[in-house]
Amino acid sequence: MKIMAKIKAKWMQGSLALVGAILASTIGFHTTAMADETCMSPYMAKIVGQEDYVYVWTLGVEGLGDEQDKLVTISVNPNSVNYGKVVNVLSVGGRNEAHHSGLTDDRRYLFAGGLDSNKIFIFDVHTNPSKPTLHKVITDFVEKTGGMVGPHTMYALPGRILVSALSNNVDHGGRTGLAEFTNEGEFVAAHWMPTDENMRGAKKVGNIADGYGYDVRVLPRRNIMVTSSFTGWSNYMMDFSKMLADAEAMKRFGNTVVVWDLHTRKPKKVFEVPGAPLEIRCAWGSRNNYCLTTTALTSQIWLIYEDDSGEWQAKAVGDIGDPSKVPLPVDISITADDQGLWVQTFMDGKTRYFDISDPFNPKQIYEHVIGSQVNMISQSWDGKRTYFTSSLLGNWDKTGESDEQFFKLFKWNGEELVHEFTVDFYALKLGRAHQMRFGAYSLYSQKSNSTGTLLSQR
Amino acid sequence: MQLIKRSTLNFNFQTVFSVIFLALVLLASDDVLADLNELADHAVFGPGDNKEGYESADYRTNSLDLEKRLGKEANLIDFVNNPPLGLPPVPIPEDNPMTIKKIKLGRKMFFDRRLSINDTFSCAICHIPEQGFTNNEIQTAVGVEGRTVKRNSPTIYNSAYLEKIFHDGRESTLEQQVWSPLLARNEMANPSIGYVINKLRAIREYDGLFEGAFQGRGPTMETIGMAFANYQRTLNAADSPFDRWYYGKDEDAVSEQVKRGFEVFMGKGGCSACHVLNKKYALFSDNLLHNTGVGFQESMGIEPKTRRVQLAPGVYTHLDTSVIKSVSRPKENDLGLYEVTENPNDRWKYRTPSLRNVSLTAPYMHNGSLLTLHDVMVFYNDGGVPNELLSPLIRPLNLTDTEIDELVSFLESLTGNNVNVLVKDAFAAPIGDISPDDPNWAHENQLKF
Repeated sequence: MKIMAKIKAKWMQGSLALVGAILASTIGFHTTAMADETCMSPYMAKIVGQEDYVYVWTLGVEGLGDEQDKLVTISVNPNSVNYGKVVNVLSVGGRNEAHHSGLTDDRRYLFAGGLDSNKIFIFDVHTNPSKPTLHKVITDFVEKTGGMVGPHTMYALPGRILVSALSNNVDHGGRTGLAEFTNEGEFVAAHWMPTDENMRGAKKVGNIADGYGYDVRVLPRRNIMVTSSFTGWSNYMMDFSKMLADAEAMKRFGNTVVVWDLHTRKPKKVFEVPGAPLEIRCAWGSRNNYCLTTTALTSQIWLIYEDDSGEWQAKAVGDIGDPSKVPLPVDISITADDQGLWVQTFMDGKTRYFDISDPFNPKQIYEHVIGSQVNMISQSWDGKRTYFTSSLLGNWDKTGESDEQFFKLFKWNGEELVHEFTVDFYALKLGRAHQMRFGAYSLYSQKSNSTGTLLSQR
Repeated sequence: MQLIKRSTLNFNFQTVFSVIFLALVLLASDDVLADLNELADHAVFGPGDNKEGYESADYRTNSLDLEKRLGKEANLIDFVNNPPLGLPPVPIPEDNPMTIKKIKLGRKMFFDRRLSINDTFSCAICHIPEQGFTNNEIQTAVGVEGRTVKRNSPTIYNSAYLEKIFHDGRESTLEQQVWSPLLARNEMANPSIGYVINKLRAIREYDGLFEGAFQGRGPTMETIGMAFANYQRTLNAADSPFDRWYYGKDEDAVSEQVKRGFEVFMGKGGCSACHVLNKKYALFSDNLLHNTGVGFQESMGIEPKTRRVQLAPGVYTHLDTSVIKSVSRPKENDLGLYEVTENPNDRWKYRTPSLRNVSLTAPYMHNGSLLTLHDVMVFYNDGGVPNELLSPLIRPLNLTDTEIDELVSFLESLTGNNVNVLVKDAFAAPIGDISPDDPNWAHENQLKF
């Protein structure tokens, strides 16, 4: 069965299942329950149809343009006269190590974190979707959370944003936690990761409870929250080659996935998942009680699943490329029908498509070189449009001619990726392109403004 | 035997530096045991993120909870007025006498992350109290925005006695020293002296503190340096098992293995030629700079075609150097004392570090290239790295494996009895993180120039 046909067939089933799932959630009370981009929170309002803009959270580069981090807005609606062009650039000051961003459940605001400065920039993306404005800056993330450093994932819960951190203000190592903010940016609570000294009620399944953090995702209908683990400030800010040559630093990577009780925010189980498990994607199907993650250093796909007896388990289910060559899997994206998983491997610049119809036996069935390096992917809900960006971390990106920085759109016809357009972030003197999030007029009962200001065209 | 039993019952902390603990416990008096029991609250002798055994697939974490990293303020000036056994009187500059107010002010600034261009970096980020006031987790330091620092963070224990400061000895007083990291672009990256002064003036928590400590004088280049120096001058850690044996004449203070190690240290090993001690006290440093070949190796050595890289507990691979270079920024060379004098004879000379508390300050050498004390012993036993400027004191030693083990035991006996007090005091110090009243708050309150 062709992948696109599968998506079509499962579309309605999946949608209905999602609505039911959210209603069944112990904390879900929001009425809109579907996300357009497949990796977003299920609590978010959904774009119906074509997205109008992609917001690219971009790292400033010394010696390039205005050198500071910025939110870059790109028109992606083919009906716009500015299709494929940058229509707005909003510089925020400083090089904050711009990294991930996330929209509030109502999609009115975009929270974008700085892994170095610990600032969270809150952009108003609803007043004029073509021209976001800086609404507020959370500057006291470290103080408010009691010492967490490196705000990473910004994940929508009803009326709240859940922020996973990467480090701490004591040793800049990997022990860290999660924090909650209201949609207005007011601090609500901090939840530290379980450690041996304080497991916080969790069970240590293997030998490891490192207290590290990275991504967070939820499976509301099973009342489950899942977190992964990367590394602390000293490593993620360090020159990549320097770190690879530092035997002590290479010991400071996360080796755990934690399954939490979503409602109480209490950790339940700490699984041993060696080699820095990063992005987590949970299945959408009503009976698909599992999430997937990939390990950056050991290049494996791991399945976090609920077994027949209702217990949560973690299992390595496949390799990505040749792990001995460290292809470095980074961002991943699950298709809306849970049948496919896109996996980016940074070092060889490839995107790889895995058939995960049997999640215990993923099989790579397609690959394509996106550029000399590649990190993030965002695919539309119908799977037809896949957007890619290039940057991993400011001091980890490739150097010299291999340091391409781009935003690219490829169209996926079910068999191959077809290049649509590229925005060269270095030619436009913008910086390193990182996290992407979608925007649309339809979310706010506005009509498309195809005459938006064109700021950069070369 | 009685002591061993008590320790078994009372101790339940992580195995980092367990050898030291064991040595201390075996040899401790009741007073020491009381101190150590206090430590059981939280380990202070190594990273809370313990990686001991990470080389093996059987690695088990023993991670500590950051919310339980609680401290107890100490009367630090005691360690200046009455230096622990084994240390000489603390040299105090006439123009910067020790006072409690200055010590407290220096301590506050030491842990204040706002004293950097982007409010993320304090001195304690590279000089982490429970990691020997250095950083056990990386070989060479990383500064603001992840900028590369080419050298290992040196410990600041007993820095009161340094005559030459930094690995290349380029600075002479603690009062002046602090301005280097504050202003270095790859460390705390403050853009100017005035920026630091203005920022301290604008942070309300410092209102009146300088004036109270310096007879009405506010923050200036001089008073800031004096306050930092006052705090650093208190971090004197000695009265180790070795001191109790050698200077305290307590024959039971160290094991026979330690005593044999000391014999090797003074004799066959020739270590004391640079790491000197005398009949009254021991700094274990000649305060001079030497070429051991470590720097030469880094500058002139031929790069291997592949590098062994650890990916997870017990999991390694060999990466081609070309792959590593594809993600490499230009690396700054390191020529040691030559960078200060421009005398070609000074190439790759670095300061002799003290050996006090050395088991707390891994990794070793100016570039952190040796991970364990055993590695260091093997390096010297092999005669360093030959080069035309190699110190004549460095030569093959022909030590046996037993003698190397004895040397390591001796070095492990040099951990000060008051380290726990100093570290706990540091835990009690507030960490300065940016809050609404501070400069640079949320794109408001920008410093005025």
